This record gives sequence, structure tokens and C-alpha cells, in this order.
Amino acid sequence: MEFSVDKQEFLRELNLTQGVVERKTTIPILSNLLCEAKGNTLTITATDLELTIRTSCDAKVKKEGAGTIPAKKLLELVRLLPDGEIKFKLLDNHWVQVVSDRKTYKLVGMSKENFPSVPATPHVLVALPAGLISNMIAKTSFAISMEESRYTLSGAKLLLKPDAVSIVATDGHRLALVEADHKFAGLNAEVGVLVPKKAMAELKNLAAEGAEDAEIEFSQDESNLFFRTGKRLLISRKLTGQFPNYEAVLPRDNNKIIALDRDELNDALRRVSQLADSRSRAVKMAFTQEGVELSASSPEYGEAREIIEKPYKGDPITVGFNATYMLDFLAAAVQGLISVELKDEQSAGQLRPLGDDKFRYRYVIMPMRI
Amino acid sequence: MERPASVVKELVENAIDAGANSVRVEVEAGGRRLIRVTDDGSGMSHDDALLAFERHATSKLRTADDLLSISTLGFRGEALPSIAAVCRLVLETRAAEEEDGTRVEFAGGKLLGVKPAGLPLGTCISVGDLFYCVPARRKFLKSDTTELGHVASVVTHYALAHPGKRFELRTPTQDIVNVAPVETLAERVYQVFGRQALDELIEVPVTSGPIRAAITEAELAPGEESLGISVSGYVSRPEVQRPNRNGIYIFINRRLVRDRLILHAITEAYRNVIPPGVFPASLLFLDLPCEEVDVNVHPSKIEVRFRHQQFVHDFARDAVRAALTRARPIASFPSSRPVVETLVETRTATEAHSAAAAAGTAPESIAASGNDAHAAALPALIPDGWAGPISEGAATQGGSEEFALTGHPLRAEATRFAFPMEQVSESDITRQIHIVPPSDFNQHAGTAQEYHSAAGHEVFAAPSGTGDGDPLGELKPLGQVNASYIIAVNGEGLWIVDQHVAHERVLFEQHLRARREGPLTGQRLLMPIVVELSPRQLSTVERISEELLANGFEVAPIGPRTVAIHEAPAAITAADAERLLLEILDGVEREDQAISIETLQGKIAASTSCHAAIKVNTPLDAPKMEWLLAELARTECPMSCPHGRPIVLRYSLREIEKAFKRI
Repeated sequence: MEFSVDKQEFLRELNLTQGVVERKTTIPILSNLLCEAKGNTLTITATDLELTIRTSCDAKVKKEGAGTIPAKKLLELVRLLPDGEIKFKLLDNHWVQVVSDRKTYKLVGMSKENFPSVPATPHVLVALPAGLISNMIAKTSFAISMEESRYTLSGAKLLLKPDAVSIVATDGHRLALVEADHKFAGLNAEVGVLVPKKAMAELKNLAAEGAEDAEIEFSQDESNLFFRTGKRLLISRKLTGQFPNYEAVLPRDNNKIIALDRDELNDALRRVSQLADSRSRAVKMAFTQEGVELSASSPEYGEAREIIEKPYKGDPITVGFNATYMLDFLAAAVQGLISVELKDEQSAGQLRPLGDDKFRYRYVIMPMRI
Repeated sequence: MERPASVVKELVENAIDAGANSVRVEVEAGGRRLIRVTDDGSGMSHDDALLAFERHATSKLRTADDLLSISTLGFRGEALPSIAAVCRLVLETRAAEEEDGTRVEFAGGKLLGVKPAGLPLGTCISVGDLFYCVPARRKFLKSDTTELGHVASVVTHYALAHPGKRFELRTPTQDIVNVAPVETLAERVYQVFGRQALDELIEVPVTSGPIRAAITEAELAPGEESLGISVSGYVSRPEVQRPNRNGIYIFINRRLVRDRLILHAITEAYRNVIPPGVFPASLLFLDLPCEEVDVNVHPSKIEVRFRHQQFVHDFARDAVRAALTRARPIASFPSSRPVVETLVETRTATEAHSAAAAAGTAPESIAASGNDAHAAALPALIPDGWAGPISEGAATQGGSEEFALTGHPLRAEATRFAFPMEQVSESDITRQIHIVPPSDFNQHAGTAQEYHSAAGHEVFAAPSGTGDGDPLGELKPLGQVNASYIIAVNGEGLWIVDQHVAHERVLFEQHLRARREGPLTGQRLLMPIVVELSPRQLSTVERISEELLANGFEVAPIGPRTVAIHEAPAAITAADAERLLLEILDGVEREDQAISIETLQGKIAASTSCHAAIKVNTPLDAPKMEWLLAELARTECPMSCPHGRPIVLRYSLREIEKAFKRI
């Protein structure tokens, strides 16, 4: 293998792979990148067995072939090199020589035979608009549970319908659901897949890298999900397990409703939650004739009380919420009015941004007993 | 009478009851050939000396009412006749008011002769050829060294119970125990076990209070006269963990007993300090009025009954717990820590032998040789100035003054704590020790070197044991090892803090405090978690459901074998709720009897905080580490986690200096 690439172009692709490269060197080969030179392109592959990223850039290939290079060292080195052409050459013992101008480096690689094989991409199922998907991931990924158990999954559900796409994520305490209308050509039935949390993050990165109107080609086989945008390919292990029946928990008859300005609510919550109990982060929200009263108290820090004035004619109600959960949602929601819909102290509350015309965004949050 | 040690026990008790200030025990062939106990007590008159060998004759009770308040160790009048029946016995005694002493001879229970004799004040009983006429018993005697070990154990315990008296235990070739009268128990512990043992123990200061029906009752008005109970002694540091209760010694009115009530009180005091299934060591003295305790309930008098059981239990528990909390003992690195295994344990034969090396009367020499097997290698007589030069071989073998109580030789790691600064290349340092703030490679190495020189500087600047405040409060975090253990320094040395258990302890105390103030916040779950339980677990859930609810758990039965968790404590994730519930039920079930509400709260708090605490393998930035250390210093018991594992390890300046051969 012998080829040369342009530094800037190469570096941009290298950066994309870093999220996937194994940090803990349990399996040494996983901290390496697979570089394959063929025709006039260089293909780079990184994997941690759960997630694989494959990308490519233009290269002048002198001699076709493949080799592996330690990912972190390569990135650090390329970053520090001056702009211009960088030459790579595979030496004996799997070492790789890197030459830039009159600077020569040799990196210890490993045999490319040990590198895990990459599954072949099946035929494309559907093309997703990149901008839309990246936006939807941002609105839901914070609600994905960190841990996997019977009732929550460390992933989000991506649901494709012929004329709509939705993403749902939950950690058992709250649930974020976002839907958008989009006509999918060639899709006749519903397709639902579970995407791991890390894959969601990488997918968002890929979507953000591309142009605004880029498309992500989605396909799947029995155990993997494939997302391709341009020359970049993200492969993720599918999550196994049953996503909770989220439709059953969506509130239907929440009749105590107040619409509040997002920024006003956000600021008030941030102030009040300063004095919330540091572990439970519990904030009380009371609907009264005067408006919405937010209060919090902790034996260690003190008490806080704020009233957001707003006419309200319904029955008064007081519910406790985890302030962090509320703030997560408010940060993801668009500016404007937020409809806060409650039923009673025990039932799920729902938040919806009213000013969002592109997405149907619902956030379900379970109350706390304070 | 079943073995030499039981003879020694009876005779030593008699000596103590006679008001002796000095008790000498001489033993030959493990007590088989000869046991001689000499005291300087009140002695006996001619008539009494003969009467003493009648069964049930005792001078220790004057009226029948005395039986209700027994203040002497013996009172049944059975010991001497029983001993006389199985050996050749010579009694020599003189009471103060008589001019002549009396010499009585028995063999196999038969009186051989009575003679007047010129004798010093006090009593001397020689028991020869024990069990010569009882072959069945003789056959079951163990080796001489084993029997000697048992005798040594008996004498040691009485020596501990009576610091104000002189005790000697001799064999023809060895001086096993030889302790001069001292004022305090601390000095006696030092005499018997040495300084290292004292370091392993926490003193329970004398705690006394009037006896009440229950600890919750109001204290009596100052003017009101009441009889008091007092607790004092020593308990082991939490890192001393014994596999059984054999290291717990309880003296009630100076009598060694194995009382289940007090054993339980001590175990309770260590709850959430040491793990379940291991036990502390202790020397605990309870003194209470003779009417409050009945010692006449067990043939060998090893059990007692209290009139106010619950109060005595709670009082002892609180005294020990208070001492533990106050002392805040910190574990040091295990390899350099002597094990208290041998402390207060029945001395084994080898120990008894080696202790013979401590022939000198000076306490230093006893401390120096102590129970250590290696002491045998030392010259029998060590001059008082023990700190003086000793042969290189002995020093390295025994580890100079460190070896006082180690049952086994110190391992080499003691002097070679591999702190990576020394042996590991710089690139390894950057990988293993994540020094904050990390910016680039060179700075890492720089910081590491700065730290190194800073530590070296402190060697000279700060004498060990500075700071009168809490040493934990002054800790400065340096970084993490493996994103799991916080490395911190203060004037006392280098500390390693396990971040998970440290946080667990902080949360545990917060949780308990919050719970005492009122019910805790529960977070409702989006979807109830359905858990299948065994019938026993189900009944446990019903029994404790109220307390579960107050802790933020709403659990409702939905079927014959299933419950639904609707609400879980706010601090834990939904995924953890099921595991936490099962863990709590498991913990509650392990307690046999109905558990107190306080214990239950503790159990729930321990489980909840374990799930809520930061895990290992979590990188922390400097402010977070500082926060954690400061919070830890504020806890009541920062040395061990609610499950009993140690939280902090200290590599003291002294150990560092030693390892670098500076001292």
C-alpha cells in the first residue's frame, strides 16, 4: 500500500472516526484504523464492534493495498503536520511510514487480517432528509436511558411511515416523542428500528457534516443498521429487545392547561432549581388563579418561590417534577409558548411547544411525590 | 475440672477474691506435672483451710441474701474440692491474724495430713500430677504447649481485667506473662500486647449513666440517687475484620463472659461500619451494680442475665458507636498494617513460647517481643533501650518495631509501595494517573515532577501528625487512578479515596438525615415495573411497605406473586429500581428476627445510596473531587462505607519516608 492524500481533506475524515475508536484498549486492533487504498480513493474504517464508521477521501494511489494505523496517534500527528500532501507507505511488519515534505514518521500498525470485517450494505430502503433527522435526534436523544434494563433501552426508536417519521426515547421517567411529515418514496409499510444511543450521536454528527439538503440512505439487515450519506457510512448493531409500548403512556385527557413562554419558564426553573434538593432536583409546580407558582426547598440550601403570572381558570393543582427533566426539554424546544398540560398529582404531565410548525413534539414527564 | 486451664482459672479467681495484689502462676509440663498459684491475699485460718475442701463450703457469701448481689468471682464452694479430688494438692496458707500458717495435703480427694508451718501471708496452692487418678481425663489432654496456651490465655484475661494487680505466669524455662501493677487499662494492654496492638484499637472512654428501664426514657433528675452502669475498654478499628466473634472479649464486673446480649450490642455498633459476616475484636468492660446482674445462671459462669437487658444493650451499643464515630480511624495500606489476629486471641503454643522471650520486666521488652513468632529469634533479654541498634538480620526479619503483633512475618510490599512516579516511565504516568488539569503531555510530566518534589519537600516541612482538625478536611485532590480512585495529599501523607464508596457514605448519611426529617421524594415511573416475588418476599413487602413508601418506593401487589413498582426513589434511575427493591428485600430477609425501624431505614439507605453513588471508572474534574472530599470529611463516619468496606487508605509520611530509606 502506498498513497498520498491532502492533509485537510484527510483530517476531516479522520475526525469523524474518533468517536468510534475504542478508548479502552481491550482489543488492540480496535484502536487502529483500517486504511484501504484502491483506484483513486482511500477508505478509512473504524469500529468498536458495536458501531462502525467507514469514510473515504481522494488519494493518489501508487500501489493498492491495505494496512492498519493507530487511530489516536495518527490523528494527533496529522493535526500537527503542515498543510499539503502526506505520503503513506506500508512497510514490513505492518509498520506504516508517514512522510510530509522532509518529515518522516513510522507508526506501528497491526496486521490488517485481524481487523473485523465490515458487513456488506444491503439495498437501500429509504432516503432520510439529513437536516430533519439531525434536528429530531437533538430533540430526543437526551431522554435516552444510560442503562439498559427490561423496561428501558439504551436507544431510541426510529419509526418510518410512508408519510411521516418519528423518533421516541425514554428512560422510564420521561419520554420524548417527535414526529415530522415527510413523504418517503418507495416505502409502503411501517418500519421501526431501535438505534443505540451512541449511534444516534454519530448519526447526528454525520448529518451535520453534510449539506443541508443531503440525504441519508437507510437500510438494514438482520443485525445491523446502515446509514450512508455520500461517501460516509455508519453501521450500527441493532438493539434487541422490546421498546416499551409508548403510545399507552401518552396522556390523553390532561385538562389543566397553561401556556407559558419558554424562556420565562426556563429562567424561572433554573433559578428555583438552585435551591432544590441536590439529589432529587424536585421542583413543585402549582397552577393557581394567579398563575404558575414554582417552588423548591432543601434542608441544606434553603427555599425558593417564584410566580409566573398567567390567567388560569381551571382547578388548582400542585405537582412535583424533576427540574433537570424539564430543563432538558426546554433547551430542545423552539422559542415561543410551551403548553404545560397536567391531570393530577399522580399522572404524567405533558409539555408541547406551540410555536413549532415543522415538528409535532411531545414530552411526557412523570411527577414526583414530594 | 477438665484441663489445667480450668484449674488455673479457679485458683486465680480465688486469689483475686482474696484481695491479692500479686498473683503468681507457675506451670510445669503444661500444667500436667505442676500448677502452683501463689498470692498475697488474705489467706485462711487453720479451720477455714480444712473447711475449704468440703463441698459447697464458701467464705464468700455470708448470708443467703448475698446470693442476690454476688460481687466475688466464685461463690459456690465447689472449686477446691473438685480440684483436690483429681490431683495431689498442697495448700499453704496463713491469715493475717494468725501467727502460724497451715499446710494441708490432699491426694485424690483424701486428706493426707495437716501441719502448722511458718509461711508468708497469703495462700499458695500447688496442684501436682493433675488427673493422675482420672485416666479418662488425662487421655484427653492435648500437648503440653496447647495446654500451656490455654493457661496463658486465662492469665492474660485476668491480667487485663485487673490492671492494678501484678500477674506472673512462669514455666521452669520461660516467663510468659509478667506485668507490674499499672494505673490504667491502656498501660496494661501495652504491657500485654505492645504498642502496635494499642494502635489497632480505639479506646472506649469510660461512659457511665444511671440505669433506666430504657434508653429512650428521660434521665433522672440530678438529685435522684440511682445505680450506674459504666462501659469502658477497647474496640478494634473497622479495618480489623475477624471471621468469628472469638476476638470479642466482654468483662462484666471484671468477669470474663460470653454474653449474647453484649455481643449483639457490639455487632450493632459496627453496623454499616464493617461488612456483614465479619466481626470486630474488643476488650469491653461493663461495670454495673451487683444486683443488676445475675451471674449464677451457667455452670461455668460464662453467661449472665441482666435485670434491664434492653437498657444495658443499648447503652453498650451507644458507647461503642460513639467511640467509633469520634475516633474516625483511617485505614492505612494493608500490606504495612499488622493484623490483630493474635490480639486477645487465645494464645497459641508458639506464641506462648515466643512470648517467653520477653523475660525482661520492662514493658518495652514485652512490647518489643510481644506475641510475634519472630521474637523467638531475638536474644532473650532485650535492654530497655530497645530503640538502640539491633542486629541487621533481626531488624529486617522482624521489621524493627513494626513486628510487635504481626502473627506472620511482614510481607515485602510493606517497604515497596509501588507509587508509579518512581518506576514507571512518564508516558505511563500520563495514561494511568490523570492529573488535573490535563492539557498536554509535557505539562503532565511537569506536574508529576512538581508533585514529586512537593511531596519530598513536605517530608522535611511537616512533621507527621500535624493539624489538630480533621485530617480529611485538609485533603487536596491531585487526580484519579484509573478514573476510580482519588489521589489526595495533606500534611499526614498520601491518601487514596475510593470515589464510589466515598460518595455512597455521603449519600447514606444525607439519606438517613432526610428520612428522619420526613418522607423522601419519589419519582413516578412512566410505566410501572412488574416484579415477580417469592411468597416470602411478598410478605416482606407488605410488612415494610409503609417504610418503603416513606423512602420513595410505591410498591403495590397486582397478583398472587407479582408487585408493581409505581414509584421509585428520586435519586436512582428507573432501570435500577427493580434491582434496588430486590436488594432491600434480600437485606431485610437476612435478619432473622423482626428488625427495628432504625435498622430498616439504615438498610434501605445503604442500598439506595449505593445505586445513586457515582460509579468507578467515572472521570471527575478537580472541583468535583474537592467537593466529594469535603463532603466526606463532614460525614460522621468517613472511614468505611455503609456496607463496611474501607473508603480511604493512607500512606503516611512516615511510611513514605521509610520506603525511601530516609529513616
